[in-house]
Amino acid sequence: MALLDQAATSHLSPRQQVLVRLRRFDSNVLARWLCLLPAFLTLFVWVYWPLAESFRLSFYEWNMLPTVAPEWVGFDNYLRLLQLPEMKKAAWNTVLYTFGLVPLTVGLPLVVALAARGVGERAGAIYRALIFIPMIIAPVVVAIVWRWLLSPDHGIINEVITSLGFSPIRFLQDRNTALWAILFITGWKLLGFSTLVIAAAMTSIDPALFEAARLEGASASQVALHIIIPLISPVLLLLTMLTILHGAQWSFVYINVLTHGGPLQSTTNLYFLLYDYGFSNFAVGWSTAAGMISFAIY
Amino acid sequence: MKASSRFSKALQATPGHLLLVMLSFVAIFPLYWMFITALRAPNEVFSDIPWPQNPDFSNFRRLLSEIPFARMMTNTFVVSVASTILQVATAVLAAYSFARWESPVSRWLYALLTLTWLIPAQVVMMPNFILVSQLGLLDTLTALILPHAASAFAIMLLYPGFRAFPRELIEAAIIDGAGPWRILFYVMLPNMRAAIASLSILVFISIWNEYFWPLLVTRRIENSVIQIGLQMFFTSEGTMWGPLMSAASLASLPILLIYLVLQRQIVSSFVRSGLR
Repeated sequence: MALLDQAATSHLSPRQQVLVRLRRFDSNVLARWLCLLPAFLTLFVWVYWPLAESFRLSFYEWNMLPTVAPEWVGFDNYLRLLQLPEMKKAAWNTVLYTFGLVPLTVGLPLVVALAARGVGERAGAIYRALIFIPMIIAPVVVAIVWRWLLSPDHGIINEVITSLGFSPIRFLQDRNTALWAILFITGWKLLGFSTLVIAAAMTSIDPALFEAARLEGASASQVALHIIIPLISPVLLLLTMLTILHGAQWSFVYINVLTHGGPLQSTTNLYFLLYDYGFSNFAVGWSTAAGMISFAIY
Repeated sequence: MKASSRFSKALQATPGHLLLVMLSFVAIFPLYWMFITALRAPNEVFSDIPWPQNPDFSNFRRLLSEIPFARMMTNTFVVSVASTILQVATAVLAAYSFARWESPVSRWLYALLTLTWLIPAQVVMMPNFILVSQLGLLDTLTALILPHAASAFAIMLLYPGFRAFPRELIEAAIIDGAGPWRILFYVMLPNMRAAIASLSILVFISIWNEYFWPLLVTRRIENSVIQIGLQMFFTSEGTMWGPLMSAASLASLPILLIYLVLQRQIVSSFVRSGLR
């Protein structure tokens, strides 16, 4: 770029050239950092500083009242937290949420996307529009609707189950099924999105590869295994990573609206516990310490 | 194409169609059921028949008399629009700076930026809540908008587009004597409209649907956004399924209407963000 500047200003005297250069340099430097300012200022106030502050607060005991001073307790919060049975259950559940979601956000969509390769344009457009809809519906709405559907008294799902002769399943009220029900709801929301992302990744594969495979006499499953999956593996990896990083968080809404961690702690996870300590019990130190623990796990 | 190979192609596509039909059904049925429950007469709410026999709006009337729905809709709209404008603006500026002036410092800053994407909301919620309450902004729309003024995700979405912008056009503008602002607004932005529209849709929908932060910050139902108002209604009147489903239907209607019009754009925005 320096060369171009020289060409553009070569008609000026050397002194003028230097002045123009300086002025442009100044306005560029100013612009460059000014542009970053709003974003980083916002992030500093709402993310970086709170992160440090959370860390600091985790060493104190406080109930959030401005009239009461925080009390230094050192590592006490951490020690007590790690010994709580609630915490262990929450940690284990978090693992279940995280990895249990992957079949729904990666496995099943992959199968559907692979099977859906032969589907024509117009049908494909209709399916695409339909299966995507859960993704844009608000999580609260999703929670309420599924509560209605899964209701043991009059929910349509149990109506079907009882009409087949079985006794109704108390999906959200039974501690053996509650977590899986929430997992299913979380996955339901993302199914369409994942399927479309994987399908889109597949369209970017060079059709010549399929031709070559067909000429070699490869079967459909061989094509899938040896050509498609390796080539879309970055996308599969991304979806898996997204699920692992954010899966337990995604379920927060459903836990808070539908079960509050129950029945009997069966649906709680670390994020819900964080929120519970912070806002139901006003135990700031506990909440932030738990937050630090889960952050450290990342 | 020969008839037999056409047939075999159709046959091959059948499992695909089957799975997709099932998936579509699973995706749509809950919402369909929500709508017809909302339209059912109060004494038929528990009916199993898959369409409303005597549709009426009494559930909606009941709902609107119980909660300040119009006010909540306006709140949600204001928060979503304001947040979207701010977030897209800061993202455009930041992505421009990152893309145009690279250096070890900018790369380090970008890495710092991506770190924020990993931080769960629950880890930073307490200090944020305390800050908002100390500023006297609890229960206000401002508190709902401010934290959304910037997001790493938005910047990360725009950055590749800015980076891929042809250098020759920028250099031509420099020769013409254009300064950095002129280049951003008159040279680059007009060509980035698709990416910006795409981002705006994503941001708008995600803020409209947001639950966690409004949950912390809102106290009274009149100041809430729809999602929180919905939850408040749910926790207080959990078994009034008819009005509850009306509430859920009304809450989803705006986004669904937007989806009806912009479906292609919305789907491709989400999908492309996932393919990044």
